[in-house]
Amino acid sequence: MRPALLLFASVAALFASLLSAQILDPAKLLSSPTDTWPTYNGDYSGQRFSPLKQINAENIGSLALKWMHRINVGAMRGVGGAQIKSTPLQVNGVLYFTIPDHVWAVDARTGEELWHYSWVDQGGHLLGNRGVGMYGNWLYFLSPDGWFISLDAKDGKERWKVHVADAKLQYFTTMAPLIVRNHVIVGVGGDAMDVPGFLEARDPETGALQWRWNTEPRPGEPGAETWPDKGAMEHGGGMTWMPGTYDPELNLLYWGTGNPNPVYAGQGRKGNNLWTCSIVALNPDTGKLVWYFQASPHDTHDLDNVETPILFDAHFDGKPHKMLAQAARNGFFFVLDRTNGKNLVTKPYIGTNWAQGVAANGEPIPNPKKDPQTDGTLLNMPGGGGTNWFPPSFNPETGLFYVNAEEGYSLAYLTDTDEKPQGYGGNGHTLYSKSVLKAIDYQTGEPRWTHEFPGKGLAQSGILNTAGKLLFSGDPSGNLIAWDPANGRILWHFHLSAPVTNGPTTYLLDGKQYLIAGAGDTLYCFALLR
Amino acid sequence: MGRAQGSLTLRSLFLAAVLALQLASQTPDAKQSRVERGRQFLGLPPPPDPAAVERGAKVYAQNCAFCHGPKATGAEGPNLIRSTVVLHDEKGELIGPVVQNGRPDKGMPAFSGMTPAQVFDIAEFLHARVQEAANRSGYKILNVVTGDPKAGEAFFNAHCTSCHSAGGDLAGIASKYEPADLQAHFLYPDKAAPPVTITVTLQDGQVVSGTLKRQDDFNISMVDNSGTFHSWPVNSVKFEVKDPLEGHRKLLALYADSDMHNVLAYLVTLKSEPRPSGSVSK
Repeated sequence: MRPALLLFASVAALFASLLSAQILDPAKLLSSPTDTWPTYNGDYSGQRFSPLKQINAENIGSLALKWMHRINVGAMRGVGGAQIKSTPLQVNGVLYFTIPDHVWAVDARTGEELWHYSWVDQGGHLLGNRGVGMYGNWLYFLSPDGWFISLDAKDGKERWKVHVADAKLQYFTTMAPLIVRNHVIVGVGGDAMDVPGFLEARDPETGALQWRWNTEPRPGEPGAETWPDKGAMEHGGGMTWMPGTYDPELNLLYWGTGNPNPVYAGQGRKGNNLWTCSIVALNPDTGKLVWYFQASPHDTHDLDNVETPILFDAHFDGKPHKMLAQAARNGFFFVLDRTNGKNLVTKPYIGTNWAQGVAANGEPIPNPKKDPQTDGTLLNMPGGGGTNWFPPSFNPETGLFYVNAEEGYSLAYLTDTDEKPQGYGGNGHTLYSKSVLKAIDYQTGEPRWTHEFPGKGLAQSGILNTAGKLLFSGDPSGNLIAWDPANGRILWHFHLSAPVTNGPTTYLLDGKQYLIAGAGDTLYCFALLR
Repeated sequence: MGRAQGSLTLRSLFLAAVLALQLASQTPDAKQSRVERGRQFLGLPPPPDPAAVERGAKVYAQNCAFCHGPKATGAEGPNLIRSTVVLHDEKGELIGPVVQNGRPDKGMPAFSGMTPAQVFDIAEFLHARVQEAANRSGYKILNVVTGDPKAGEAFFNAHCTSCHSAGGDLAGIASKYEPADLQAHFLYPDKAAPPVTITVTLQDGQVVSGTLKRQDDFNISMVDNSGTFHSWPVNSVKFEVKDPLEGHRKLLALYADSDMHNVLAYLVTLKSEPRPSGSVSK
């Protein structure tokens, strides 16, 4: 062994022994999830693919309910009943999950509550919370009103809190913090009052700011030419409200950014409005922008581009490629070369009549005639777009990208005709929508199979793939369903008390594979009957 | 005769109740509660006092609008709706010192003669402007009747008359809905549509008809014409579902924006006949 390597190996060994006392071994973040589910998407790739196959297509018939854990918090301000939208982390036999204002730790084997942390908010939206981030023994939680809070994982005691976003300005915070080495990545939400978006890295021990990347350039910086003036830029929106993904080899952080502001009224912000509605690659140590791809230039339809940018390595046009794929809320499926942001595939997976074509660089070209008008514009997508925050999944064994999509129609209105509009400045009104689960071939963007859900309602559920040749997700009627990911055949289902409201997960404990799904106010755990 | 009259009265009451429910979405009360729900959802501060807002609007127009714009969205002076001071202010405690001392470094004069009551009123006016901008639940749709009624009538006759008639089920539709509501309603009237019906053929050949209750990939349930509930695994029966909105879904794919505006322009001409007077009692 060369001296440098030897030194590296001994430092690594020392590091490992120092960390062994910690609840979460950081190395867990670098491999596919098996005995641990250590971060929102299970690992940095965002694939939500588990290599576990104890539960598989052959024995799925004996998958049965193991336990349920119901939270009792009553009605929540402005939203009604609690919905578990968070993906629980599972570390060392404990599940950590959230709703707005609340964090729980429960025994992953039995569902028994270990501790419950609650927060009294001073504003912010209670629309959802995606979960906690974990670093060693510490948890990180964002309150609806912009507090970045660290808890001790063993007892839920607050260690410290720092304020990262001002709810009085209509920021609110919902994302599960993402840990990249010693950086806790924190994003923000809020588009009611024309505030600028940003993404921050914070110190895991103190919460101190390490860097901040602004989703709008400052006057004179590259990208400023895509805004008419300083005021539009300073109030341009572009929120960072969903966890991104990370490539440790390239050391690049991938993040989706939200819609520009004012949301539906674009007349005061002529131009492409960088870097809103984009996928950006950032250096996680400095927060510097490395490349960007704008999915919706000059968006006027509330098409936040925050859906998970999933990373995978596979062949494209016969050559190995490092890729990134996203089923965007704007109805397009994109595949990019994640080393440089170059576009490989742009293909609609639902109606996209807001766009009049696709530019040479793969970015859709908006159709100004389909901008919201005072007398209404009819769009061939639902008001919320083609999909939303619920996690998609990529299965490296089938080469398919799976998304719970929504097809339908909506009206878009401009309600603020002022040359300097404020807030939303208009609205979108869904006329009709239906849910479809699509399995998209990443090489062509064409669906290999589509499952149309019968009946009413929407399937706003995340997706999990496993090496057991199973795909788990929920339907609009409250069923947790297992499909054959290769062909869309249904293999198993279980009717819950509500439709699945989070991304299902799986893990191995004591040699036994468990499946977890959240539905409304209840967490469900399944395992094979013995 | 008496019994017949009685049932007629009940039916009228029922129809009146249905109409009231349909109209509820357009009443000021319904709008107010929608705005209030939006305010709670957004975590906005309590609604400002309307009387103070009205007084404040006048004080603002006389003293502040010249620099900050008539709508407080900024002119020579900054936008006050997006101002951090205004957004953090509760009852004039932060706005007051700025008004009374001015911001000489930025060219804003002092309004030292302003009374605390006037400051409070200006603050309430600005808070109201903030809520109007931030709370999208209260946004008003502007004029939607921009199309050509003749072209709309032609479209209607070509695509809608197999199910609807202007003098029949749609007579007076324009009196039931405000134009903006009518546009969404005629495109996809899911809240007013008759129920989805289903005819199920059992394995023994028996046929059960009724209203669909629930359908998923595994089970189908319905209430038959006698009011009895039934549920079957989907693979154990044959069934046919009839959704009265099917035609509307097909049309959604067909409309150009101009077709939609033309049809609306036609439908707003379908006002109802004047109702007979003197029959309403308290």
